[in-house]
Amino acid sequence: MTAITVSNLSKTFQSKHKAAGLGGSLRALLKPKYTTVEAVRGLSFEMEKGELLGFIGPNGAGKSTTIKILTGILHPSGGEAQVLGYTPWRERQKLAFHIGAVFGQRPQLWYHLPAIDTFALFGKIYELDDAETKKRIACLAEIFEIGDLLEVPVRKLSLGQRMRCEVAASLLHKPKLLLLDEPSIGLDVVAKQHIRDAIRAMSEQEKVGVLLTSHDAGDLEALCHRVIIINHGQIVYRDKVSNLKRKFLTRKLVEVRYAEEVSPDFRLEGMETLKTGRYGVKLAFDTRQTPADAVLARLSSAGTLVDITISDPPLEEVIAMIYGQANQ
Amino acid sequence: MKKYWFLFTTQVINSLAYPGELVGRSLIIIPFMWIFYQLWSVTFKSAGVTEINGLTVNMTLWYLMLAETIELSRPRLGNTISEAVKDGSIAYILSKPYDFLLYHYATSMGETLFRASLNALLGGAIVRWLAGAPPDPRGWPMVILAIFGAWTLNFCIAALIGLSAFAVEDISAFQWIYQKFAFIFGGLLIPLDFYPAWLQAISHALPFQAMLYAPARLFVEPSAGAFLSTLGTQLVWIVALGLLLAYFYRRSIHLLTVNGG
Repeated sequence: MTAITVSNLSKTFQSKHKAAGLGGSLRALLKPKYTTVEAVRGLSFEMEKGELLGFIGPNGAGKSTTIKILTGILHPSGGEAQVLGYTPWRERQKLAFHIGAVFGQRPQLWYHLPAIDTFALFGKIYELDDAETKKRIACLAEIFEIGDLLEVPVRKLSLGQRMRCEVAASLLHKPKLLLLDEPSIGLDVVAKQHIRDAIRAMSEQEKVGVLLTSHDAGDLEALCHRVIIINHGQIVYRDKVSNLKRKFLTRKLVEVRYAEEVSPDFRLEGMETLKTGRYGVKLAFDTRQTPADAVLARLSSAGTLVDITISDPPLEEVIAMIYGQANQ
Repeated sequence: MKKYWFLFTTQVINSLAYPGELVGRSLIIIPFMWIFYQLWSVTFKSAGVTEINGLTVNMTLWYLMLAETIELSRPRLGNTISEAVKDGSIAYILSKPYDFLLYHYATSMGETLFRASLNALLGGAIVRWLAGAPPDPRGWPMVILAIFGAWTLNFCIAALIGLSAFAVEDISAFQWIYQKFAFIFGGLLIPLDFYPAWLQAISHALPFQAMLYAPARLFVEPSAGAFLSTLGTQLVWIVALGLLLAYFYRRSIHLLTVNGG
């Protein structure tokens, strides 16, 4: 069963241009210059019910625009989309009962009121009865660990606390699909982990499908089964997260420590030296060119090894590599 | 409809978040009324009359108090919509199962309620002290209904201006023009009765007088006839502008672009 079907979706904006300074402003007034920005260009993809799909790309890639079309906020310039059987921009209100949305950079909770008031309001908006709302709030409070935060005015919460409340609020009406636009933006590592754990728990318990945009590769690794990478409004890559790692994570990082001092111009064939210290070095190699056993052999021949760590580069680097290829 | 009632009550609670600010802003009506009192008592005295075109000093002052109350507590809906477009928070309003216009109607009414009550209370207190007893309390329920009509009419105009934010984003110029039109043709500073006939004719042909003049005039000289004609005029304008609003909303929602990606 598919939750989202998108075919050939596109959205163009007119964006006004103005040269710097007062002169530029005056010229722009008399003779405005517009350029057409193609935020989304012929996007097609499908998402299964209950799937966790990551939608990643750099700033301005068209991720948020796509999410906003899928929630019915924006009208596309072309193409078709079906979300849970609805055409979002034509049946926005009907669809809204079945989806939850979080736009990470904007608050939906009423700023001056405690979150519990917004929860109660959302209960009414989604036409739940009071007992149901109460039960649901208790359940979400436990999963998102926000029991103590609900009665504090939202303006007094930390960003991490607020985001947990924001995501919980969007799940109040038991949506079948959750659209998260940059849910972890601006959060520290612990707060990010908190949110991810809660989202994963919800998706496992209630089979909520999650479409998540992010430019944090960590969100993807922690949550998603499948990934779509988008740049300049087009899909540049789509695959399982595990395949992505296998295909593009052929570059490995090695950190070694030796019992004796190493020379500052430490070099080994087939490896790139990233950093040299007195007793250790950090190197990178590609498993397609230099097999790992050869690397180990060379490293141990250079001295007595005390410690060795081999790791994958951060996914950000991988994505940068894919962008690089797509741009060429 | 229940959800809109709840939106309204939530906004009422929300407007109480900063009671100091609420009272502080309402205090402005006190100097306004004091200045009006000086102005009109001198005018009446120097003309040597107790009544101008049917209004005494006392009536003029109570008229101005009510007109100011409506004007000062009128929700700044245009700004609200324009801000939501500019900072992108409109995405949330549109991703919930409620009607965009009714959402704004409910929340703007909630925002207005306490502000209006405070303005009326403070303004009423000073006018009572300066100019004497208020008009017949038996007319007040009619006036309250007319004030709701006035705010609904304001909603239609302000929302039309707010919607233009979908296309042009910054709407402060339109806001400014609207406000000045309401001042002049609505009879905010001078009751329309004191205008020359030609200006009265223009004013009565425009919607602004149904928002300020008509309820304020009804307040100082309540009658069933005046009440019905006020409500009737308001209704005609609300229907006409409401239809225009619905039409523009449907057109402009296509134009919407949300800032911030």
